[in-house]
Amino acid sequence: MSTFELNEDQQDCLQELINVAMGQASDQLARYLDTFVYLKVPSIEPVNSEQLFETLNQDLKAAAVVSQGFFGYEGIRGEALLMYQPQDSHRLADLLGYEAGEMTFDEQIIDLSSILTTTFLNVFASQIDNQMSYSAPRLLSANNAKVSEHLNQQSFNWDLALKVKISYQVTDYSFNCDMVLLIPEEAINNIKAVIDRILEDF
Amino acid sequence: MLDELCINISNRLNTGILIVDRHYNIIMWNRFLEVHANKSDNKVIGKSIFTVFPELPKKWFERKLSSVVQLKTQSFCGWEQRHHLFELSHSRPITTDSHFMAQNCTFLPVEVEGEVERICILIEDVTDVCHYQSQLNKALQELALSNRIDGLTQAFNRKHWEECLAKEFSRARRYKHDLALLMLDLDHFKLLNDTFGHQGGDLVLIETAKKIDKLLRMGDLFGRYGGEEFAVILPNTDLEGAEEVAERIRQSIAKNTIDYNQKIISVTASIGVAIIDSNDTRYEDLISNADLALYQAKAAGRNRVCLAKEVATI
Amino acid sequence: MSTNVLICDDSNLARKQVLRSLPENLSKNAQLATNGEEALAILRTQDIDVLFLDLTMPVIDGLGVLQTMKDESIKLPVFVISADVQPEMQSRVLDLGAAAFLRKPVQLNTLTENLQLHGFL
Repeated sequence: MSTFELNEDQQDCLQELINVAMGQASDQLARYLDTFVYLKVPSIEPVNSEQLFETLNQDLKAAAVVSQGFFGYEGIRGEALLMYQPQDSHRLADLLGYEAGEMTFDEQIIDLSSILTTTFLNVFASQIDNQMSYSAPRLLSANNAKVSEHLNQQSFNWDLALKVKISYQVTDYSFNCDMVLLIPEEAINNIKAVIDRILEDF
Repeated sequence: MLDELCINISNRLNTGILIVDRHYNIIMWNRFLEVHANKSDNKVIGKSIFTVFPELPKKWFERKLSSVVQLKTQSFCGWEQRHHLFELSHSRPITTDSHFMAQNCTFLPVEVEGEVERICILIEDVTDVCHYQSQLNKALQELALSNRIDGLTQAFNRKHWEECLAKEFSRARRYKHDLALLMLDLDHFKLLNDTFGHQGGDLVLIETAKKIDKLLRMGDLFGRYGGEEFAVILPNTDLEGAEEVAERIRQSIAKNTIDYNQKIISVTASIGVAIIDSNDTRYEDLISNADLALYQAKAAGRNRVCLAKEVATI
Repeated sequence: MSTNVLICDDSNLARKQVLRSLPENLSKNAQLATNGEEALAILRTQDIDVLFLDLTMPVIDGLGVLQTMKDESIKLPVFVISADVQPEMQSRVLDLGAAAFLRKPVQLNTLTENLQLHGFL
């Protein structure tokens, strides 16, 4: 298994691509939810597959984990995991604009995850001249064993997990959510190539 | 030419395709939907989707589509959250128990010059998946249960019972709660087996387990420890309370008669009782203490209850 | 007389993007700051003619810089260049006295247009 390391410039470039993606995604989200989303600097750390379980173990106090696969051109594909903290999970329906009783908690969290994942990745992809398709989002029970079982059963071997910690503070409904993008090796190399192409321009 | 080919293919797909405009009017649907909805084209095309499918949750549906239009991104609705949106017949009416087709629906934005003018809804038939998943869940539940249960007596099996004891033991130590344990052995069971055969012996085990189970409270944990040995965990119970339960069980077993092949079998039991004490560091200590008391009951002539405390003072 | 430019962004790439988009007479004297605190230190001690300012930054963010400049009466044209393109954010920034709001990644022609509009070209 190859070790994946980004040098300082690559990390900085990736961070900026993600900043722009988050900025536009939250703009769409804010318009859709009719509210203002306060953005903090997202923390981005690449973690290799061995480390991921350690970092996930700390995070898996989560109330819910939703997984959604994504795939674009040039072998860029992977899976997004969205993790929510239990204290943030109430009043989601309010936030999403559904009437009480219209939607179960499961459905709300899947809906929100799908919006966060697809709006973010759509912008990210367009910056690197790519386009994404998505599989149906699935709710994994927020249970350590279930999530690691799921990761083991994946259709691809991922080498890198990009952990993007996004804190959305929506007026009146502050909540945090962690997005983890699991990316297989060929996709990493491709993203790296794209980053290097961007960096070469300077 | 290509258009014709596309229409041809879309009409042979085993997936429903439905296209609506921003006012929820149906622009196009494919043969799959025509067949499964059993409605004809002229009652559908140009009509509102809510007229054609009055079963749709209108507000929910409008909000869902507005997210597709506004965010220009696809949205999903899976069978695990909503079994179906559209009331469609499915192709497994006999082998499955659901009335309507289970569905995975995908809502795709169709952009014209940067604006979402139409929404394409893909409807996949997942009735089979849904059916097998529910069968699998049922089987898994049964399996989980059978992993914990002794097949003959329906009491917990030894492995599961010991796991329960380990949990109760550490809980009682942590919160300084009472915890009592009964170890019960049927008297002269080998003789009984020799007299009535193994089938007779099995019947005694079954009937005795039933009797014991009836006398227990919610929260008590009853297991088959070995051949003719049973064990009961009594959480939040002191020595006096445990002795009472043990005595009731002993009397009930002694009074009970079992009909087997026109013969009457009666049986008695010896019971050892122990409670957690501060010297016990492992749950196995509690078992040893109750075992000692059981040995004492046997030695004192059987069909009686002995307390571990008395054993210790002897 | 040369124009003194300050570019404040926590991303090296973003700073370079701005720098690259500037005409030579502006870029040759450009100074760089990686967060709001650094930018304010430079603004307080040096003569800066124009500031390019990111919003989402550590230590002191772009809004903090604009507010402090207002409080301390540091007056110069500020071009905010941010990924946070929510309408409410744009109006907040303009209310705090920014000359213009430009969305990231910054485009050469929009930057040129805005510089022309404010007489820097």
